[in-house]
Amino acid sequence: MKTKGSIKKRRLRYNHMTPKLAAELCKISGEKYVIYDDKEKLEPYSHDEVAETQYAHMPEALVRPGSTTEVSSIIKWANRRKVPVTPRGAGSGLSGGAVPIHGGVVMHMDRMNKVVEYDRINMTITVEPGMVTNDINDLIKGDGLFYAGYPMSLETCYIGGNVAENAGGGKAVKYGVTARYVIGLEIVTPTGDIITLGGKLVKDVTGYNVIQLMVGSEGTLGVFTKITLRLMPLPKANVDLLCLFKTPDEAIAVVPKIMTAGGIIPTAIEFMDKTSVQTTCQYLNESIPYQQAGAMLLITVDGPNAAQVEQEYEAIGELCMKNGAIEVYVADNFTTSQRIWNVRKNIAEAFKVISPHQSLEDIVVPIASIPEMVRELQVLSKKYGVSIPCYGHAGDGNLHATPVMNPAWTLKRWNDTLPNILIDLYTITSRLGGTISGEHGIGHKRKKYMPLVVSKEYLGMLRSIKKALDPNSILNPGKIFNTLA
Amino acid sequence: MRIVVPIKQVPETSAVKMDEATGTMIRDGVEAIINPLDLYAIEIAIQLREIHGGEVVAISMGPPKASIALREAIAMGCDSAILISDKAFAGSDTWATSNVLAAAIRRITIENGPIDLIVCGERATDGDTGQVGPGIASFLDLPVASYVCKINEITNGLCCVHRMVEDGYEVLQIQLPTVMTVVKEVASPRLPTLRGKQKAKKVDLTIWDVKNLALEGSKLGINGSPTRVVKIFRPSVARNCKKFIALDDNAIQAAADRVVGYLQEKKLI
Repeated sequence: MKTKGSIKKRRLRYNHMTPKLAAELCKISGEKYVIYDDKEKLEPYSHDEVAETQYAHMPEALVRPGSTTEVSSIIKWANRRKVPVTPRGAGSGLSGGAVPIHGGVVMHMDRMNKVVEYDRINMTITVEPGMVTNDINDLIKGDGLFYAGYPMSLETCYIGGNVAENAGGGKAVKYGVTARYVIGLEIVTPTGDIITLGGKLVKDVTGYNVIQLMVGSEGTLGVFTKITLRLMPLPKANVDLLCLFKTPDEAIAVVPKIMTAGGIIPTAIEFMDKTSVQTTCQYLNESIPYQQAGAMLLITVDGPNAAQVEQEYEAIGELCMKNGAIEVYVADNFTTSQRIWNVRKNIAEAFKVISPHQSLEDIVVPIASIPEMVRELQVLSKKYGVSIPCYGHAGDGNLHATPVMNPAWTLKRWNDTLPNILIDLYTITSRLGGTISGEHGIGHKRKKYMPLVVSKEYLGMLRSIKKALDPNSILNPGKIFNTLA
Repeated sequence: MRIVVPIKQVPETSAVKMDEATGTMIRDGVEAIINPLDLYAIEIAIQLREIHGGEVVAISMGPPKASIALREAIAMGCDSAILISDKAFAGSDTWATSNVLAAAIRRITIENGPIDLIVCGERATDGDTGQVGPGIASFLDLPVASYVCKINEITNGLCCVHRMVEDGYEVLQIQLPTVMTVVKEVASPRLPTLRGKQKAKKVDLTIWDVKNLALEGSKLGINGSPTRVVKIFRPSVARNCKKFIALDDNAIQAAADRVVGYLQEKKLI
């Protein structure tokens, strides 16, 4: 009979890279595309966009494959040699997903950056994982099409990374996240097999929905070598509204009304609390009368023509005014739009002036719980003596609450305190029916907090899936949960 | 206080592309906006009205779609707007444009009484000349203060302003009516509000053409312009790199000295 302690945790046993193993890797991909024994060149691959250095880890080697068969050969070699492989996109992740925490080889997908097939009639595009997502939209906009899963922030991220993290972003209210648009994948499994999933089909129920298992798997279940995306008609007009409210409650109360009473699904509904608004407006020298604002909503509507968009933004604006907005500003051209989005996009930068040490969180709660979450954050902020600005996607409840180190503290005090702040934050999130990551992923930054929000059984299921597909724990081990050998 | 703000609709700056063959700007499919530097003129005009009362009239010479820019000016808080539009104006240089705008301002004076102030942006981001503001002043025989960064006070028909000059500020007292061109430091433009947008949508824009302004045909458009754009070209940027290589630590100082010597020789330091 099994008892609690009978599953012995064994250390993952991997082989370190040696000159001999590096030579074998060079044989597969060519010397030009392998970096080994060069700290300076390997360093950029030791971290992603997570600011805290404790989440970084040096790779032992880097390989840049140029084809699917090469990826397969590398993975098969890694299984034979017991060397972990961590796939990497542009490195713009926010959970440490591409950090090789067990060393081994980082597989950078930058060379696989081509369009495989652009099918205007079926409105699909098949690309390699190293394609910059922004470039996809640049390529197709002339045809009146766009890829709607594009996250809002970075113009550098790769589509492969987006799929691995199931990236979301500002437009999720109306267009959903990456997963909605991935209809086909070619993957290399953790044991090196090449498998094609789905294709250009809108409907497909042949077997388990493995595509959706792969999307958001954070590089732990397969390496994507081809990605087929569904495209949408490009909206021809869009308008942004910046709405100032006295309190977060008033601001959030409007959000469901826009969709129910107004009958409109905006493209984006961004929320910024008082701390974010005031710090950022000060930082930007912004002249809008933010001093009275306890919260702001940034609402975007888009549509096939200017008349429809005008009708929608007026309806939303009126709703906001009726529900206590101090003022509603309208941006229907590029310059004005850029100015109001600047407030939202500069929040992180503005707080970096106060302290570069911050923990960008990614909690998600049911929309109606946002005001309570904001209140709880104020309590937490007082309790720990740190500022916790809260901003994010009000339309889907995804909030980037960001504890910022008190500039009077030592780094040690911050590092000692942060885990406690996060435990409190995640416990509150869980109590409000939420979870710890909406779009950035678990990676290894949040894995130890997983038990706070998910059941043991669920974690067990994830582990079983991983073990079934990756018996040697070769692919991105130690992410989402601790991997057992 | 009655203020006129001449504005220009320009292509959105980050989207500007040039046709290398003809040397002209490709305007098709490029979003048109209020010249960003005119927003400061609109803002300071509205602020002065808020202090002294009166009205702000935005005017623009341009094609019919320039009405979008004028409605945006109303949404920001201007009281009314006049579009000056006629095919005969096409291709006007700064001289011809100043002439037309001056004529429009004269007509506003005749119809609605004297004007105290004409505020222009420093320059337009497309033509980049900064000549139209002073041009209007010369056609109307009014004093002009360019590069105004601060308006101190307006009393008894006198206005005290700070001009931004290369080595500091110049403080001027000017008699009204006058023309000013303002720089960014003068004020931070407000954003158009929902109520402003709704008002702007309903406003009937006044449109004036050649006949309304009783202008001489020979002074209009491309043929009436004394200046001509002969050629537009992209200056080639040449970067010549010179490397000073230090092979070991001992050579670093020597290499640094050579860099300094090189920069001195080129009179860069």
